[in-house]
Amino acid sequence: MSHATATTAQEPNLWGGGRSPYNVSYGKMMMWAFLLSDALTFGAFLISYGTTRFFSTVWPDANTVFKSFPFAGEHANLPLLFVSLMTFILIMSSVTMVLAVHAGHYGDKKSVTKWLLWTIVGGIAFLGCQAWEWTHLAGECGGLWGTFTDVTTPVADYERFFNTESIEVKNIFHNEPLVAMQSTHNFFNYFFTITGFHGGHVTSGVIFNILMLVNTVNGTYERRGHYEMVEKIGLYWHFVDLVWVFVFTCFYLL
Amino acid sequence: MSSHGGPLSEKDYYEGDQSKLYSGLMSHHTDVESTESKTQIKKIWKVFWILLVITLAEVFIGMKLSHSMPKPLLAFIFLGLTLLKAGYIVAIFMHLGDEFKGFIITVLIPLVLFVWFIIAFLADGSFWLHMNNSSSARQHLTGQAAH
Repeated sequence: MSHATATTAQEPNLWGGGRSPYNVSYGKMMMWAFLLSDALTFGAFLISYGTTRFFSTVWPDANTVFKSFPFAGEHANLPLLFVSLMTFILIMSSVTMVLAVHAGHYGDKKSVTKWLLWTIVGGIAFLGCQAWEWTHLAGECGGLWGTFTDVTTPVADYERFFNTESIEVKNIFHNEPLVAMQSTHNFFNYFFTITGFHGGHVTSGVIFNILMLVNTVNGTYERRGHYEMVEKIGLYWHFVDLVWVFVFTCFYLL
Repeated sequence: MSSHGGPLSEKDYYEGDQSKLYSGLMSHHTDVESTESKTQIKKIWKVFWILLVITLAEVFIGMKLSHSMPKPLLAFIFLGLTLLKAGYIVAIFMHLGDEFKGFIITVLIPLVLFVWFIIAFLADGSFWLHMNNSSSARQHLTGQAAH
């Protein structure tokens, strides 16, 4: 109650000058602005993917495309398991990042160092998983982008990405398999573009985290009197996790 | 940087420790072992478990139920769970929930554009499919291929 009264009393002065009306530092505000613009970029990619999918008669089946797991052999049928592991790693690294930010609020150099280190480990583990998945899928479709453009490609080369029990899919493969080939081509182009763009973000996040780790260990932030840089890069890192939440839904679930 | 509680000179706004200007998250925490700090850490781990459980539920639905459920219902469930996860990440991990209301609104309003983007583009995609499938040229093609 007393808190509410205090807030109401402050309101009229909020935009009166002499203080930050948003109570946010310049750097943090600009990070949010950047993240908004980045959200629009990722949004454009994902909506474009959705549009292409909506105008395609058939679409590769996620449970069939993503059914492999490292060292599980050629015929492993473990849909979604590997990407669940990747998602778990990224969520975990988000937790260690927010713990680093928390330690930074208290000026606890030792904890900031520890949690940043774990975040870097998580980021690199995620990138390693992505490298495996890319390599695996590149092997499956004969390259990264731009495959499945040759009309003489044997039907079996792309039929294996579809849920062949669906009547719609059966009809297309019976009547005009090239329609399915076009969908396969689009699917993989979007997959490599969007997960690549996301992976690029993870990579730069890992680099930022390494730079921050060096600064933390050297006592740069301690001398500066605050760990706001950890908070700003933390925002970026969580955003990358946030994007993955949407990529995960769009590519692997829907 | 001027000392604690002292008046700020103009220079402090540009070169000094900006975080001291704000009464929000960055300010004046000292004891990492305090109850306040421990409550915050507990909250972070709680959100981690929530995110994990939601993800596992999504994977379970995706693996076991995706072929036996109507597509629109499935999409509705997945998008709902996704937005829930996104909400937790933004509100708790990114601390947006702790910011001033005006700032929260400033960040969220541009994202409302997505509602329009998604509706417009997906509708366009399905209309394109409808036109493509019902055009005489395509029926001719399909007829040819069937022979």
